[in-house]
Amino acid sequence: MKIWKKATAMLLTGAIAVGCLAGCGSSSSGEDESVKVGILYSATGSMAISEGAVRDAEVLAIQEINEAGGVLGKQIEYVEEDGASEPSTFATKAEKLIDQDKVKTVFGCWTSASRKAVKPVFEEYGNLLWYPVQYEGMESSSNIVYTGAAPNQQIVPAIEYLVEQGYKKFFLLGSDYVFPRTANMIINAQCEALGVEVVGEEYAQMDQTDFGSIISKIEAAAPDVIINTLNGTGNVSFFKQMDEKNYSADDYMTMSFSIAEEEVATIGADILKDHMVSWNYYMTTDTPENEAFVKAYQDAYGSDRVTSDPAEAAYDAVYLWKAAVEKANSFEPADVISAIEEGGITFDAPEGTVELNADNHHLVKPVRIGVIDENGAINAVEETDPVEPDPYLTTYDWAVAANIQPIED
Amino acid sequence: MVQFMNTVFNGVSLSSIILLTSLGLAITFGLMRVINMAHGEFLMIGAYMTYVVQNIFAKFLPESVFSLYYFVAILAAFAVTFLLGALMERFIISKLYGREIDSLLATWGISLILQQAARSIFGMQGVNVTAPSFLNGGLEIGGCTFSYNRLFILVMVVACMLLVWYIMYKSNFGKQMRAVMQNRSMAQCMGINSKKVDMITFSFGSGLAGIAGCSVALLGSIDSTIGQSYIVNSFIAVVLGGVGKLIGTVFGSSIIGFASIGIENYTSASIAKAAVLFIVIVVLQFRPQGLFTIKSRKLDE
Amino acid sequence: MIWKKQGYNICFAVIVLILALMPLFLSVGMISSSSFVLFIGKCMAYAIVAIGLDLIWGYTGILSLGHGLYFALGGYAMAMFLKLQATNGQITSFMQTGGMTELPLVWKPFLSTPLAMVLTIAVPAVLAGVIGYFIFRNRIKGVYFSIISQALTWAAYSLFTGLQSYTGGNVGITEITSIVGSIKGDANRAHMFTLFYASLAILVLIYMLSYYLTHKKFGKLLIAIRDGENRTYFSGYCVSRYKNFIYVLSAIFAAIAGAIFVNFNGSITPTQMTISYSITMVIWVAVGGRGTLVGAVIGAFLINLCDYSFSSGTMVEIWQYILGAIFVVTILFFKGGLVGIVRDQLPELTRKLKHKREAN
Repeated sequence: MKIWKKATAMLLTGAIAVGCLAGCGSSSSGEDESVKVGILYSATGSMAISEGAVRDAEVLAIQEINEAGGVLGKQIEYVEEDGASEPSTFATKAEKLIDQDKVKTVFGCWTSASRKAVKPVFEEYGNLLWYPVQYEGMESSSNIVYTGAAPNQQIVPAIEYLVEQGYKKFFLLGSDYVFPRTANMIINAQCEALGVEVVGEEYAQMDQTDFGSIISKIEAAAPDVIINTLNGTGNVSFFKQMDEKNYSADDYMTMSFSIAEEEVATIGADILKDHMVSWNYYMTTDTPENEAFVKAYQDAYGSDRVTSDPAEAAYDAVYLWKAAVEKANSFEPADVISAIEEGGITFDAPEGTVELNADNHHLVKPVRIGVIDENGAINAVEETDPVEPDPYLTTYDWAVAANIQPIED
Repeated sequence: MVQFMNTVFNGVSLSSIILLTSLGLAITFGLMRVINMAHGEFLMIGAYMTYVVQNIFAKFLPESVFSLYYFVAILAAFAVTFLLGALMERFIISKLYGREIDSLLATWGISLILQQAARSIFGMQGVNVTAPSFLNGGLEIGGCTFSYNRLFILVMVVACMLLVWYIMYKSNFGKQMRAVMQNRSMAQCMGINSKKVDMITFSFGSGLAGIAGCSVALLGSIDSTIGQSYIVNSFIAVVLGGVGKLIGTVFGSSIIGFASIGIENYTSASIAKAAVLFIVIVVLQFRPQGLFTIKSRKLDE
Repeated sequence: MIWKKQGYNICFAVIVLILALMPLFLSVGMISSSSFVLFIGKCMAYAIVAIGLDLIWGYTGILSLGHGLYFALGGYAMAMFLKLQATNGQITSFMQTGGMTELPLVWKPFLSTPLAMVLTIAVPAVLAGVIGYFIFRNRIKGVYFSIISQALTWAAYSLFTGLQSYTGGNVGITEITSIVGSIKGDANRAHMFTLFYASLAILVLIYMLSYYLTHKKFGKLLIAIRDGENRTYFSGYCVSRYKNFIYVLSAIFAAIAGAIFVNFNGSITPTQMTISYSITMVIWVAVGGRGTLVGAVIGAFLINLCDYSFSSGTMVEIWQYILGAIFVVTILFFKGGLVGIVRDQLPELTRKLKHKREAN
């Protein structure tokens, strides 16, 4: 009987202790010398493979800024949370960062699923998210800054380039996921306008390991270029299994939107040799800023590490936030957002000078079509002037005609 | 015709991969009734071993013998997972015999630990192995390319099957093993050291996962989650085939492999997956114990 | 005497009391942020699933590794209802991306409030009923059942990710405003508390219902099925019918939990119906203590609270190891979970200590 009393008391104290631990544990604030920002990526689960690199780039940028004296005289302190590759966890953790840790801004999210899950959180709390990955567009929230490419800064120019090069039969291959689905919707509309044929469209599961069937379908459709929007591990399996059948870029050229230097390293340069990709930045991009960035990155994380477009966009995000804060002369998200919306925020990024578009919160950035060489480096074969972001593709007649703009909901 | 041959080959190939990943399970789950959710992570360890051995070869040995790394990797993967299996059996599984469902949950914890260990040791990013040169390319017959890699996996499966068959049905140890699994107390009475048999059997099953890991390392990404993408398929193959019968696992894997490829020819991968799983569920309604069962008069199987 | 008889219920009452006082803690500043209360709201949903799982696993011995499916089905139904309320029955953007011009037939019933509420529960219940009918009639049990339940969840997951124009694919249904309106931020605290107390009331009701069931003859029968299914058959009970009933009931609980979860979470994704998510749910029950209702509730709260607090910063790595170790150790040495430790191990320990003292 006594035991039960004790037991209940124990449970009670335990529960309260845990509650307080979680509730009040990290609410210590009030240091004047530092400003808190959040970093929110997956450290566990299936997406950790990709998301580690962008996180590293952001931490690097924060350290650099701190060494150079911080922002508005304050050191940046970052709070890191694990999204566990699970959109709901992302939402929970975003809320925790904003409401409990009182961060002034958050750098985070990789997948569109996680971004869409946290979007209402940022909107309702009036905080600001910096999203560093190229994505499918059709979104423009005033509480998110998109430092990766909008579709018209990656997909659309890549298709134009392919058509210019004389490719006529396109095969669309992607993961069964919102980015490939939307990207292919855009590509279908664009191909129709450009008068080239889409000979097939296939979606693999996110964790698919066997591409035998899909490769057979590609063989049957006999395209001259495969537009590849596979994500993550699917790319490795697909290219290795293409290589198994002795197919090289001469047999089936591919144009990939999710293969950056990181992925080249895990797939193997010998397999990807001569294949094409489309990004805004490569490790080989020839600017003094990039030289410094690559050096700093490798000094910090090891000489075998490579920089990639998402990592660079993440690095930019921190510096752009700094610029916006300095312009607003305030850390408050609302002030920073209005500073952004006044326009004129630029950063001399490794990819070249980027400007934050005041209206749609995307970056004005150059597009580079790259070809992978036998050492795994990606070299730009075509480089455009900086392109204005147009997430809804409203300046493209064929896109407007195809009615692909989303409805507001 | 070419398309048909392609489909058949794809089906055979996928079946062989599923079979290879399920063979170990057929032993640990089928014979010992231990649901090892960390089996997928043993596969992951096998894949990482391939990477490690490859790097050692690239660093310390002349390039002319580089291709041989793969054979060493197979042995190394088997050895490492065999040892880990032995450790796991000794400290965890041995306490859970007769508690099938509990073994599932405990090994799920192990799998979390092993995944995190892989991330801690090898980093979050995936790693890459280069296929040995003798596996590059393929055999061309009538417009179809049968890649050497897939053919090699096929050979591996057959070799592993033969090995398992020999050990189980022809060797002295196999006799003891089957005796212990079928009637433990009787076997003990006959002087068989059942603990030792348990340990070796479980380790052997784990070792087979290591070999499977070596094979799938050449087909896709090597990262901390690789085990998860194979494990459920393998369990379903074993259950579908019938627990405790090697031949059942062969049929189970083949049905899943061919059905996946066949259905995927007509629809998308996601729908195909759902359809295959649905077929499996329906089949199991008619044959709850799987396609091949050991006849027994026991009431509670 | 009351402690011995009502110990579990008192534990639960204490938990409910703490939960009910959450808003008070928040206003006096013991909890620093309202987002924590929202998180506790999600935990209540988890606790409801855990009770359902405990009924079938802890009491009846049926281990379902696919309860995420029912959780997500309830969640999707509620999410689509709320979404359609917000858009006035217009199609959502993922449907448009998928090339639809009007609301697909499957979602049409969710335009009506009563129908949507009924379907939120009825769809998972009917699915569980049909599946359960065949599985239990064919006497599929033990691990076979567990693996079939995995296959089922996986099949549903594939379907939901594949049919993007109907379900939103991998992204699921996002940007959902809860049934009482916006609940985020200090300005919407009144809404949040309404939702919070409503959910708490549901949790209490479900606990009471489960308690009532398990303490009747019916509960004894469930335990009899767990401990000796064939003997129960021989005693003249139609075991499969009982099993099916309890399976459907736990699916309904899961669906209710999913519906509550969506309100707090603001989105539902297919991740909620993955196998690993479903196994995690079972782990809550195992750690808390299977076979006692309060154990399931404690486990759900404890694991999630720890996960919430520890999976950040440099703790992530260590936490994964600890989490794995907790599972292993609980299963190996503390079959009764936390409740079991308090109930069985502690008295033994104190007795031993007492003996020692006396010996000295």
